[in-house]
Amino acid sequence: MEPVLQVRGLHAAYRKNKVLDDVTFEVAPGTLTAIIGPNGAGKSTLLKTMLELHPRLAGEVRFFGTAYRNAKLKVGYVPQRGTVDWDFPTDALDVVLMGLYGRIGWLKRPGRRHRELALEALGKMGMEGFAKRQISELSGGQQQRVFLARALVQDADLYLLDEPLAGVDAATEWAIMEMLKTLRAAGKTVMVVHHDLQTVEDYFDHVLMLNRTVIAHGPTASVFTPENAARTYGGWLRRKEPVTG
Amino acid sequence: MTGLTHNALWVLVSMLMLGTAAGLVGCFAYWKRQSLMSDALAHAALPGVVIGFAILGFKSLPVMLLGAAASALLGAWAVTAIRAHSRVKEDTAMGIMLSVFFGLGIMLLTMVNRMPGGGQSGLDSFIFGQAAAMVRQDMRTMAAVAAAVLLVVLVSFKEWKLYLFDPAFARGLGMSGRLMEAAYLTLLVVVIVVGIQAVGVILMAALLIIPAVSARYWTNAFGRMLALSALFGGGAGVIGAFVSTLEGGWPTGPFIVIAAAGIFLLSLVFGARKGLLVKAMQRREQMRQLELRAVRKEPLAEREALP
Amino acid sequence: MIKHGKMKSTGRAFALLAAMLLLAACGAGMAAENGSGGGKAADGSRAAGGSGGARGGSGPDGAIRVVTTIAQIAEPLSVIGGDRVQVTSLMGPGVDPHLYKASQSDIRKLGSADVIFYSGLHLEANMLRAFEEIGKRRPVLAVGEAIAKDRLLTDATGAVDPHVWFDIDLWKEALGAAVEELKKLSPDDAELFEANKRDYFAKMDELKEEAVRKMASVPKERRVLVTAHDAFGYFGRMLDLEVVGLQGLSTEDEIGLSDIERTIDLLVERRVPAVFVESSINPKSIEAVIEGAKERGATVRLGGELFSDAMGGAGTVEGTYLGMFRHNVDTIFEALSGEG
Repeated sequence: MEPVLQVRGLHAAYRKNKVLDDVTFEVAPGTLTAIIGPNGAGKSTLLKTMLELHPRLAGEVRFFGTAYRNAKLKVGYVPQRGTVDWDFPTDALDVVLMGLYGRIGWLKRPGRRHRELALEALGKMGMEGFAKRQISELSGGQQQRVFLARALVQDADLYLLDEPLAGVDAATEWAIMEMLKTLRAAGKTVMVVHHDLQTVEDYFDHVLMLNRTVIAHGPTASVFTPENAARTYGGWLRRKEPVTG
Repeated sequence: MTGLTHNALWVLVSMLMLGTAAGLVGCFAYWKRQSLMSDALAHAALPGVVIGFAILGFKSLPVMLLGAAASALLGAWAVTAIRAHSRVKEDTAMGIMLSVFFGLGIMLLTMVNRMPGGGQSGLDSFIFGQAAAMVRQDMRTMAAVAAAVLLVVLVSFKEWKLYLFDPAFARGLGMSGRLMEAAYLTLLVVVIVVGIQAVGVILMAALLIIPAVSARYWTNAFGRMLALSALFGGGAGVIGAFVSTLEGGWPTGPFIVIAAAGIFLLSLVFGARKGLLVKAMQRREQMRQLELRAVRKEPLAEREALP
Repeated sequence: MIKHGKMKSTGRAFALLAAMLLLAACGAGMAAENGSGGGKAADGSRAAGGSGGARGGSGPDGAIRVVTTIAQIAEPLSVIGGDRVQVTSLMGPGVDPHLYKASQSDIRKLGSADVIFYSGLHLEANMLRAFEEIGKRRPVLAVGEAIAKDRLLTDATGAVDPHVWFDIDLWKEALGAAVEELKKLSPDDAELFEANKRDYFAKMDELKEEAVRKMASVPKERRVLVTAHDAFGYFGRMLDLEVVGLQGLSTEDEIGLSDIERTIDLLVERRVPAVFVESSINPKSIEAVIEGAKERGATVRLGGELFSDAMGGAGTVEGTYLGMFRHNVDTIFEALSGEG
C-alpha cells in the first residue's frame, strides 16, 4: 500500500540548535503511531516542519505521494493546547467551525449545513452540550476535545496531533483515545506526539522513537524495546517496570 | 444640533470616521497582543514626517505622510529584527524602538527649526495634532480610510477571527500568515498616519487602545467586540470633539482621549460581561444560592489535645 | 553563568561611558565660561580715555562683539554700529523665540560676547536663566524693558505683549537704549554711533509715515488683520488696524474649534477680504478658517505670508528690519485694499 506520509532526510534547526537531523521514515495507512522522545528531541518541530509551519533546512516530505500544499485538505492538524489564547471571545461551536473554513471559502459565511457538521463533530467528542459555551469557561480536557472535534470536522485522512493527552483528565484521555481508534478503524492514519511512555503499548500500534534523528520506527510490539528506549532517552529514563519485549 | 457650523461638522465627522477606523484596527492589535505596538508605531512616525519636510525644503502633506508611513514601517521592522536576533522580549523591543525613534524625531525637529528659510512651522503639530483645523478634504480622507478598514474587516471576518485566535492552525488550513500580517500592518499604519494629523503621535495610541479594551467588558463574541470597539472609538471622537467646541481654547485631541477614557471607566464598572458591577451582582447571587442550599452551620467541635 | 558575567561587565561599561559623557559635558560648559573670557585686550594704539573702562571690544580691530537673540535687534545694530561692531543673533529666520531653548553653542557664543541684548518682556521665555547666569559676567540688556511701561500693550490674560518691534516709535526707544550701551563700551566710537543712529531712525520714521498713509487709504471696516498668531498688537495700534489672532500671544497653545469659528464670524461679518499666515505658524489653521468662511459665502483669500516673530533670510531684503517691516505693510495693504 502507498505510504500516507514519506519523510526523507529532513533537517531543521531552532535558533542555533539543530533540532532535526536527517530524519527519515514512512507511515503506512491505517496506523496509529506514537512519536516519543525526550524534551527538545524535535517532536513538535517535526510536525511543524512537515506542515511547513517551521522552516526546513533540507529534505523532502510527501503526503499521499505529493507535496503538502496539494494535500492540505487531507491532513488534519491539532496543535498543542497552549499555543492558543483561550480567553478569546468565542464559543466551542465557533472553534469547531474554524476547521471548515478551508471548505467554506473566502467571502462566504458558515451555513446551516456547516453548523450541523460542527455540532456532529462536537457530539463525537461528547461535547455537544457545550456548543455555546465560552471557551474560556472550559476545562483543559474539554478544550482538548474541542480541538479534536475541530480536526474531525475536517474529515481528513491523516491526523497529526501534538500532545493531545497532556494535562487532561482521565475521562478525556479515554474519550480521545477511543476516537483515535475509531478513526483508525475507518481507515484513517493517525500520528500523535505522546509524552507518556507508560501508555505507548496500550494505545499505539506503531511507534516512532525520536531524538533529533530517528532512533527506531515500526510496530510497537517489536520496536518498543528497553534498548531502543535507552538509546532514545539517553540517561533520562528510569524504568518503573520491565517493558515487555 | 442647532447652529452646527461647517467647521464643527467637518471636525465631528472626521473624528467619527477616525475613531471608528481606529477602534476596528485597535481591536485587531489587542488580540495580537500588540496594543503597545500601535503606540510605538505612532511615535515612530515622527522622524519620517520631519525628514519628509527636510528633503523637500517645504511642507508637502503627501510626502510627509509617506515619510510617516515609511518610518513607522521601519520601526515595525526594527522590532522584529531585535526580537529575531537577540534575547530581548517583545515589549522591551517595542519600548526601545519607541524611545529611539521618537527621540530621533524630536532631535530632527530641533535641527530643522534652526534651519534658515523658515516654513518649518507646524511640524510640531504632528506631535499633538490639531483636530480643530479639519477641513472637508480631511473628512473625505478619514471616511475613505474608515470605509477601507470596514471593508477589509467584513470581507474576511472569519479569516481574521481564525488568524487572531489560532494562527498556527490557520496556516495549516492554507491561510497565508504573511498576507494577513501585511494586511494588518498596512491598515494599522494607514490609520496611524492619517490620524496623527488630527490627534498627534502621542494621543493616537489612546484611540487605538482604549475603545478595544472597553468593548471587551461588554461581550463574549468577537464580532460584537469589533462592532463595539468601532462604536466606542467613533463615539469618543464625536463626543470629545463636541465638548471641545463648548469653550474657547479647549484643545480637541485631548478631549477625545478623555471621552475615550470616560467610556472605558463606564465599561469597567457597568460592562455587561465583565464589569465590576455585574461581577459583584453575580457574586452576591452565588452567595445567596449557597445560603439557600443551607449547609448546616454548626461550628466545628473543639478537638482534644493530641497526645 | 557566562551570560551573567557578560551582563555585569556590560553594565559597568555603560556606567563608565555615562560618567565620561557627564564629565565631558561639564568640561565643555566650564570651558565656555573661561575660554574666550579674557578677551578684552585693549588695542594699544588707542588713546587711554575714561576710567579704565573697556576701550573697544574684543572683536577684530577692537570691534564690539554683540550677541542678540532676535534679528530685529541684531540687524539694525549692525547697520548703526557699522564695522565697529560684530553682531550675531542666536535665532535665525523661521525660529519661534517663545519656544527657543539655548543650545551648548549658544551658551558659548554668549560667553564670548562683549555685550548681550535680548528683547525681554518674556519673549525669550526659555532663555531667562541663561541670561541671569551670563549677566553675572557680562553686560546684558533687555532692550524691550527700556520702554516706558505705560506704552506697552497687554493681551486678554493680562500678560505683556512682547512684540514691541512692530511699533516704530517704541522700537526706536529700545534700539536707543542698546546704542547707549554700545557707547559706554566704546566711548571713542560714540559719535559715530550717534550719527548712524540718527540716520537709521530717520529711515524708520520715513517707513512709519509711509505705512500710516497706506493703511489710512483702506476703508475703515476692512482694516482688519487676521492671522494665526497674536503678534501684531503694536502693529495694529500704530496703523489703526484691528488685529484678530487665532491663538494667544505665545505659540504654546493648541487651537480650538471655537477659536476658528470666532474668526470666521468676524471675517464674514466684516467681509474681510484676506487672512495672513506667518513664517512661524502652521498654515492648516488658516486653511480651516478660509474654507469655513467659504461655506458661509465669504470668499477670503490667503493674503500672503507675514513676518511675525522672525525675519527673512540673511542677505535678503526681508532679512533687514526695515525690509521686513515694509514687506508686512505692503502685503497687508495690497490684500486688504484689493477686491472688496
